Amino acid sequence: MIDEKILVWRFNRGSKDAFRMLYEKYKDDLLGLAITLLRDRSLAEDVVHDVFVSFAGTTGSFHLSGTLKGYLSTCVANAARDRNRSRSRRDVGLEAAEAIHSDSGNPVQHVIDSEQSGRLTELLGRVAYEQREVIVLHLHHEMRFKEIAEALGISINTVQSRYRYGLEKLRTIMNSMVTK
Amino acid sequence: MKPAKNIEEFVRLEKPHVTTGGEMDERTLTDSFAAMDETLRAGKPNAAGIILRSKMAKLAAAAVILVAAGLLMDYRNPPVQPPPRTVGTAKSPAEMLTMISLNIAYRRGGIEAVDEQTSKAFEMLGSQSATVSIHELLAESNGV
Repeated sequence: MIDEKILVWRFNRGSKDAFRMLYEKYKDDLLGLAITLLRDRSLAEDVVHDVFVSFAGTTGSFHLSGTLKGYLSTCVANAARDRNRSRSRRDVGLEAAEAIHSDSGNPVQHVIDSEQSGRLTELLGRVAYEQREVIVLHLHHEMRFKEIAEALGISINTVQSRYRYGLEKLRTIMNSMVTK
Repeated sequence: MKPAKNIEEFVRLEKPHVTTGGEMDERTLTDSFAAMDETLRAGKPNAAGIILRSKMAKLAAAAVILVAAGLLMDYRNPPVQPPPRTVGTAKSPAEMLTMISLNIAYRRGGIEAVDEQTSKAFEMLGSQSATVSIHELLAESNGV
């Protein structure tokens, strides 16, 4: 935590090394979040790229009130939501949820990633985006409901109900898979 | 374990472990460094801006400004002092004409105060013959 504060302090003074270290620390987590939310690796990479470029542009005036992980996760979630809205409104049905899309990057890496993250991503793909977002931010990124509510600009009750309904939906999906 | 807890545990355990590719890293870092350079070139944010981001700093700055304004006002319009008393404190003409009493009067109001005190002392003594000595005058007035 102290190390992170020092890195942010150095980044604010224009240190590219500090920025690189922050990038290395959070890039994989943030990419995982974006992939889970968008289920499209190339879109997810674009989101993470944009978030880091935008963050880099704040050097000299960046003010951190919470944790950097929480801040960057929120940025990725917000950017992913924008992408999700703006991308063609294709129906993400059961068939489409079979695989994670990828238009770029290393194919081998893609296969490894798909195997590691595929199961949950597929299941979460069948849950409403808003519910998926809350579940992932809470369970994977250790954000409290209050933090999520503030980050997404919604009430804490809405966050909790989205979380509850999302988990319920997930359970129903899993049960249906078992009984098939 | 409750079903909801099971699901939570499953989601936690199944957190995707993906890694970014070298191409993405290079692209992101290159563009980020360019953004940093651009921000730094555009000009460093001024120090006051950085300092005043904290609430405590804002309060402290406001307090300093208020104190400075108060001191400036005080310096420009000093509080009106009562005029120095030029009337001597000595009661009798003899006391009013002693060196100590005249010295005090001088320090309080300058030569005008000395003149005023001596005039008052002589008024109290009234008109006398020119031949009478000071000692006699004072002895007559004070009963000494």
